[in-house]
Amino acid sequence: MGTFRASDRLAAEELFHACYPRLAGWIRRLVDDDDTAHEIASEAFTRLLARWSSLDNPQSYLYMIATNLIRDHWRKVGRERRALRAVSATVPAEAVHHPAEDVDVRALIQGLPDRLRQPFLLHYYAGFPIRDVAEMLGRPEGTVKADLHHARAKLRAVLGEAHG
Amino acid sequence: MDEPRDDIDAWLEERVTPLLPRPDAFERVRKRARRRKLGRAAMAAAAAAVVVAGAIAVPRLILNGPIGGTPTVALGSTTPAQHSSTGPGRPQATGTPRRDHTAAAPTPPAAPPVPPNFAVSSVTFVSAATGWVLGQAGTPGQCGPPNPDICTSVAATGSAGATWHGVPAPVTGPPDGGAGVSQIRSLDGASGWAFGPQLYVTHDGGRSWTKIPTHGMRVTDLETVNGLAFAVWARCTGAGADFAATCTSFSLYSSAANGNSWSPVPGMTGLTTSPVPGQPGQPSAAQLVLTGTRGYLLAPDGNVYSGPVTAGAAWQPAVASGSPPPGCGTPGPAQPDGVPSNTMLAATGPGLVELCLTHSPGRKFLAYSADDGRTWTPAGYAPGAGQATSLSGSPAGQVLVATSSGIDVSRTAAGLAPYGLSWHTSVQGASVPGGFSYVGMTTAQQGVAIPADTSLHAVWFTYDGGRRWVESPVR
Repeated sequence: MGTFRASDRLAAEELFHACYPRLAGWIRRLVDDDDTAHEIASEAFTRLLARWSSLDNPQSYLYMIATNLIRDHWRKVGRERRALRAVSATVPAEAVHHPAEDVDVRALIQGLPDRLRQPFLLHYYAGFPIRDVAEMLGRPEGTVKADLHHARAKLRAVLGEAHG
Repeated sequence: MDEPRDDIDAWLEERVTPLLPRPDAFERVRKRARRRKLGRAAMAAAAAAVVVAGAIAVPRLILNGPIGGTPTVALGSTTPAQHSSTGPGRPQATGTPRRDHTAAAPTPPAAPPVPPNFAVSSVTFVSAATGWVLGQAGTPGQCGPPNPDICTSVAATGSAGATWHGVPAPVTGPPDGGAGVSQIRSLDGASGWAFGPQLYVTHDGGRSWTKIPTHGMRVTDLETVNGLAFAVWARCTGAGADFAATCTSFSLYSSAANGNSWSPVPGMTGLTTSPVPGQPGQPSAAQLVLTGTRGYLLAPDGNVYSGPVTAGAAWQPAVASGSPPPGCGTPGPAQPDGVPSNTMLAATGPGLVELCLTHSPGRKFLAYSADDGRTWTPAGYAPGAGQATSLSGSPAGQVLVATSSGIDVSRTAAGLAPYGLSWHTSVQGASVPGGFSYVGMTTAQQGVAIPADTSLHAVWFTYDGGRRWVESPVR
């Protein structure tokens, strides 16, 4: 315990350099902030390396951690926003403007229930095939397909309302 | 899912723009992970101490590191192996096996010198500092015992090439048809393999080597990662130094790195150029590439097979067997070191790159795949000078090509340069006549190359991602 064999270190370093840019880029799309993206990606790798020797599929584990950290970040930001609104309740509400063009879709994905959001992020963003997502989440492939279908339908419906 | 396209589709199909790590990000992450791991261990130990209130046997720390490598710390009592085999062409290692009963590191014995005239044919690094080279050394006819003509030798560095010392080698000659060895790989400085065409293994940092029976097959490639070794076993008839020439059937075998039991990887036996299963087809080559999570084999028919680097896992072809391979095509005949001469495969960044030498006559065409070899996109051409001998990728996505006139290193990362890679040529032919036979990256910054002219008795290192290379004499 506590030692990291040279071969492990090489493999971990290789995985880091191979996966970090895409993982951090993927996170940035979801949190819209470079610093937060680096923070989450680094934390995901830290947790991965701390459990390195017991993992069969490090890449899946990495994206699962990142997905959970993104969810936590969204919750925290949501709480802060609510607190800010409460404090400034007397001030006329200003429309929240987000510089990113894709803020609508991101905000909608934040609103998906966990059960639908996880497979959605892993399949559509991280690019894992349905079979891998099913294995990662411990659900049958058919359930994952249905979850993805429901997630898209939900997003489309909300998007339609928003634009209608 | 056939659903109408909408804003969601458009957003999902947007390409993720990679966000490069900040300097030293990996080191910071690694240290933070280590602290957490130690913290968890301390908490577990504290909890155990509460439960076990009896006498505690303190384990002894035995320092029994590999020769030249970083000592590893093991719990319990271990007796280091005797020198059961000493490579010809060098003095017997002077260190005697030692047993240390304290936690303090003993004074290491003086490292044996590198035998003279070391002609390097292969190099392997297990960390930025620790690596081995294999080649022929000494003076033929004076290498003895047991055979004065056997000069196969191994040397190691624990200082990234600043100094080298001798290590016992397998008792076999240079490649000669089905006999001898020419290549070396190591997983961790303790377990290592000498191969091409015979297969030898050490589990004690090179102190002793064991010959692995391959039942008439020749080992033409071998890589190791995650506690496993994978090797290409081929049926060949090539004579003399061309041990990997005229190979017609290839199989992928694997073994636990700490074991000697090799078995075929499911789905990876009897690979040939022939579309008819069981038919030998034309002579060809195969090339193995491993990453931390996945392995790839450029098969003799040009298809790329891949699978997880876990014991017993099956590998799958990128396209259905019998379909035209989507990449560069067949790897062609093997070079003297077993590497294909027409198509070469390497892992780079998050994807794969192929160097295609028959795609456009006289030019070095490159293709990139981000989906395990199923689809390939053009990645431009490498500089035209020289004949390509070796292809490599860096963890950061750079591509390196060793040629008979130097080393070409891409400035841009494969997969991120839609109009082709831009290149920098390092080590012009004038300074290293004959160019290089091998190039490989140990980390994103550090790499090593072997000159084609083995009488230079040296390898070359880069410590800045391939921009500058410096000579490291193996002596």
